[in-house]
Amino acid sequence: MSGHRDEDTSKFPLLGRLFLWADNPKSVNKMVYGLYTLCAALFAADFLYHKHVYLAVEEFPGFYALYGFFMCALLVICAKGMRVFLKRDEDYYTPYDVESEEYPEDQLEKVDHDG
Amino acid sequence: MVEMIPPAFLFFAAAVIVPFLPMMLRPFLLIAVPILSGLIVWSLPEGMLWQVGFFGFELELMRVDALSRIFALIFSLAAFLGNLYAWHVRDTVQQVAALLYAGAAIGAVFAGDLITLFFYWEGTAIASVFLIWARRTEGAYHTGLRYLIIQIASGVILLAGAVLWHAETGSITFERMTLGSPATYLIFFSFGMKCAFPLLHNWLQDAYPAATVTGTVILSAFTTKLAVYALARGFAGTEVLIYIGALMTLFPIFYAVIENDLRRVLAYSLNNQLGFMVVGIGIGTELALNGTAAHAFAHILYKALLFMSVGAVLFRTGTAKGSELGGLYKTMPLTMIFCVVGAASISAFPLFSGFVTKSLILSASAKEHYNYIWAILLFASAGVFHHSGIKIPYFAFFAHDSGKRPKEAPVHMLLAMGITAFLCVAIGVYPEPLYALLPYEVKYESYTTTHVITQLQLLFFSALAFTVLMRTGIYPPELKSVNLDFDWSYRRAGRAVLGYFHAVAGLSGAYFTALVGGWIGRVYDRFHHSTGPEGRLAQSWPTGAMVLWIAILLGVTMAVNFLN
Repeated sequence: MSGHRDEDTSKFPLLGRLFLWADNPKSVNKMVYGLYTLCAALFAADFLYHKHVYLAVEEFPGFYALYGFFMCALLVICAKGMRVFLKRDEDYYTPYDVESEEYPEDQLEKVDHDG
Repeated sequence: MVEMIPPAFLFFAAAVIVPFLPMMLRPFLLIAVPILSGLIVWSLPEGMLWQVGFFGFELELMRVDALSRIFALIFSLAAFLGNLYAWHVRDTVQQVAALLYAGAAIGAVFAGDLITLFFYWEGTAIASVFLIWARRTEGAYHTGLRYLIIQIASGVILLAGAVLWHAETGSITFERMTLGSPATYLIFFSFGMKCAFPLLHNWLQDAYPAATVTGTVILSAFTTKLAVYALARGFAGTEVLIYIGALMTLFPIFYAVIENDLRRVLAYSLNNQLGFMVVGIGIGTELALNGTAAHAFAHILYKALLFMSVGAVLFRTGTAKGSELGGLYKTMPLTMIFCVVGAASISAFPLFSGFVTKSLILSASAKEHYNYIWAILLFASAGVFHHSGIKIPYFAFFAHDSGKRPKEAPVHMLLAMGITAFLCVAIGVYPEPLYALLPYEVKYESYTTTHVITQLQLLFFSALAFTVLMRTGIYPPELKSVNLDFDWSYRRAGRAVLGYFHAVAGLSGAYFTALVGGWIGRVYDRFHHSTGPEGRLAQSWPTGAMVLWIAILLGVTMAVNFLN
């Protein structure tokens, strides 16, 4: 982010320029606080309506929210732990797979946005 | 009568014509054929429409009912979108392969008997491998071979099962079966290979990221969903499928979190989505089977959309690896938006397609009181959002700025992505037309207050988990690496075992030769000296002796014949 602050963004596509605020750390913070607020509101919503459910566990207030949060955290931490055993260099299977190969240039159309 | 042409034959005819057309005209034919096929499928009446005699068997080439129709429709649509996306491709091999592949897949869903199914089943295998080989690198060649071996093996096992099935029942009709006899186990196993059951799944994650930019989009639609169709036709209500499916939704999401190649992340999440469909087949109620068919339909679209957007990134930057990408939203904003639409659809956000299809399967599992299965599916739904919904768009288009400033995707790719994205949203907003296509009548309302709020809770708190882990630095970074999966057993361990036996056999051979070779050699030399062509004994043999022996042999043969 910081290294490109002086680049000329005026030639970016209009739509791309409209999203440039996402690069600003302040707006990232704003989005994160927005997400916190939204989550709090959704959690509170559980107390404001009558749930129609199939299973008893669903009636637990905030069940979906807690389940989503903790299971996702568990997922990521387990996956990170798997890396200890399963991670290998990119050329582990070379030359028998494409992992460490360059994609053939003649099948691509690598063009810069102002090119 | 135009509606009596099997749509598969249209594709095959086009595949024959394509190489002779000028390059300028080919893309038009490539998108016209799927449109025509879709129209034919749409207007087909139900029933057995086309029988052919084959070595004493009656083959049913066109069994049309609601289940085969919805799959044939989505296959035609996928072929259209894939070929539109591949408008720029000037490679005869890929053009022909795409047509044959789509044709074989559509032929297979209309197959009313196991022999026809077998032919088309192998057809999809052979046609599709060329989409991998078309990358034309050494790695792609080896990957394609591994893919082909597994796909062909699936077909051979299907044939073996069909032969046993015929011996057992005297029929070759492809109908619902009950697991129990060797025939049904073989057929089940064959479907399972193509459907990427756990431990049979590695061909998928191995092969799809190795195909060409456009090849992967086309590959993602057909093979596995053909297997889902075959399972739904043959083994609906088979309880073991519930557990297999649940396992399928579960383990790929862990791999997807740590995988670097974004196209392989999508392959893992494809595997996970198949799990939902397999659970639906296993439950086997009308609601569940409707869910499977609807989810397959929606899934083909959003999965294609995700592969298209990552493919466009690969096309412009030369890489699809999370560790090399980031910040592309600035110059590829449209591709980014389409990717986000695909991500929202696979994550089942309200107003996107996944929401109105996946819920059928989840509700069916809860209704039939498979509580733990339901909990696993719910976890898998949150996991999907995590790796496909957030990770793919985030690491490709945002995250840390890679400094890459590629041009927006070409117009035809944007068009293909735009149409697919539109369909994803349209299904989500207005699911009734899709519901009307399903095999059974739908009495299901997806937009209830409870469902919308609980789903939003699940998704936003998953996003919250991602944010918290990202900000605390716990989230595993994208690293240039490969992760060992079950394929290690045949790509490394199997190789090592073979190498060991090779070495042992070689060594013991040398030892044996050294030990007894000299002695045997001396005996041989002695005999050669006396009876060889130059030997003393050979010199004195008259030519007549040979003629005599031939005469005696002939005489004996005749005598034996007469005695018989």
